[in-house]
Amino acid sequence: MIEAKGLTKVYGEKTAVGGVSFTVQAGRVTGFLGPNGAGKSTTMRMIMGLDRPTSGDVTVNGLHYAQHKAPLHQVGALLDAKAVHTSRSAYNHLLAMAATHSIPTSRVHEVIEMTGLGAVAKKKAGGFSLGMGQRLGIAAALLGDPQTLILDEPVNGLDPEGVLWVRNLVRYLASQGKTVFLSSHLMSEMSQTADHLIVIGRGRIIADAPVQDIIEGAQQAKTLVRTAAASQLSALLVGDGVRVDQSQTETLEVTGLQPRDIAQVALDNNVLVYELTPQVSSLEDAYFNLTKDEVEYHSHMSGEPVAAAPEGK
Amino acid sequence: MSTLTENRTNAPAHASAGVRGVTFGGVVKSEWIKLRSLTSTVILLAVTLIATVGVGALAVLIRFTFLDQMIQQAKDAGQPVTPEMLTQSFPPGSGFDLYNLPNAGIQIGTLVLGSLAVLFISSEYATGMIRSTMNAVPKRIPAFAAKALILVVISYVITTIAAVLTFLIAMPVFQGLDIDLDWSTDGVMYSIFTGGLYVAGVALIGLSLGTLLRNSAGGVTVLVALFFVLSIASGFLSLVPGDFWKYVPQYIPSEAGGRFLSIGHIDGIIDPWQGGLIFLGYVLLFFIPAMFVIKKRDV
Repeated sequence: MIEAKGLTKVYGEKTAVGGVSFTVQAGRVTGFLGPNGAGKSTTMRMIMGLDRPTSGDVTVNGLHYAQHKAPLHQVGALLDAKAVHTSRSAYNHLLAMAATHSIPTSRVHEVIEMTGLGAVAKKKAGGFSLGMGQRLGIAAALLGDPQTLILDEPVNGLDPEGVLWVRNLVRYLASQGKTVFLSSHLMSEMSQTADHLIVIGRGRIIADAPVQDIIEGAQQAKTLVRTAAASQLSALLVGDGVRVDQSQTETLEVTGLQPRDIAQVALDNNVLVYELTPQVSSLEDAYFNLTKDEVEYHSHMSGEPVAAAPEGK
Repeated sequence: MSTLTENRTNAPAHASAGVRGVTFGGVVKSEWIKLRSLTSTVILLAVTLIATVGVGALAVLIRFTFLDQMIQQAKDAGQPVTPEMLTQSFPPGSGFDLYNLPNAGIQIGTLVLGSLAVLFISSEYATGMIRSTMNAVPKRIPAFAAKALILVVISYVITTIAAVLTFLIAMPVFQGLDIDLDWSTDGVMYSIFTGGLYVAGVALIGLSLGTLLRNSAGGVTVLVALFFVLSIASGFLSLVPGDFWKYVPQYIPSEAGGRFLSIGHIDGIIDPWQGGLIFLGYVLLFFIPAMFVIKKRDV
């Protein structure tokens, strides 16, 4: 279990993470979702003790990461696939990591097999593709058979089959009662992998709920209505907490009313309605809704300069 | 790719991962694996040994030629001298002592092992490896201490082996001149055993510089400035009028450390043990801040 309380990291003038509090429970996959620069990596680096929080506190299974006697057995982390000496072979890299905890060499072979690195294990890690580097990072994270797994953008650069493998792996580990915390900026990936979502934007937690709730939260918002008397129905529906947008001549988008209530109003007023569709939104829609004000790096069509902020890596 | 995909979803075997946790012995072993698994480092260490002995042998040859010529000149002038008289006619510390021949090539060792020490940690910062290291050893100090221990041992062993080999070359050469030079000559064993300490100290300063600057080129540059440029620059101080400036250079790291490797009292100059303490002071001056920084700084 990971517990963050008021976790804050300030780099100079820029607040990368602004007082976030959350709990990552064991036995399920928790996704950490947010746009680029939202503070995902910085938060994970603070969990692992690589960055010192400006204020606040974060513990893993009740202790700071560095306080654990066998940190690699507590937490396995893939924070940065490039955290490898480029001239050292993957095998020797893992061997050196394992030696700190007296993890037997047989385990090194095991994780190499598990991550499909067998064929390249004796090659220099500097020559690895992004996907192979990612596999090596995951192998290192699994070395200590940890209780908690923290993966920063684990599917980055993996081929589709590798993506599937990571998805199955983390789901399996969570089913074994382990804590799995993985970040991504890919909503589609999260909707298929995570049970629970923590959404972060501009260093603040925007949402912390089961994936299904987040999707449904966006879903109930809209109903598509096609009617012969759009303006009449629109006038009847508009009210407290109800918004009606007319997108085409005979099409309304109603926010804040259940389809049944809309049908009732239409029936009572003798208005012909020929389509009434709850808008099935995806996690993607929910995510865009949640983060639309929190995206730090918008794409600027006009090409005006955007202040570059340090990524914190 | 299909051959790589088998066993992908295998469960991590619980018992196989070991249960011992971080031990200092384990961290030392880890750092040793890191060192030996870089081909460049292994080659560099071998070359260091060869170069140190090579330069030592060259120094032996130069001193032999010099003494030989002086003996010939004295003979030609009709005032034959024994080699004993000749070697004793030079004041101690003037550079004509023979007991310190084991360390004749030590400057090469200082340069290479010092630079290697810088790289031992700065390359981890450059490649990002440092984050893996700190993940495995989040208390950080044990990893730094393990690096220091390995550098000290390697520096000491290589320098001492080079000193013995250099002296094995020097002995028969000077014995051929009827000069009494063997293992029991005053200062020979002292030189052999202290040379490694000096190079180990330089390596610790190198490791500290690599940690403080996190940059290979910067660390090596400062190290070279400290141990080579500074000693040349301080030589110019003797040109400044007044006695005071003549006594300043002996306090710079390379001179104080060099004095530690010699024997005997010289008026107006610090004693060897004082030189040793001053050199140790310089080592700590870099080592302690580096230890503090590695503990506190974000990686």
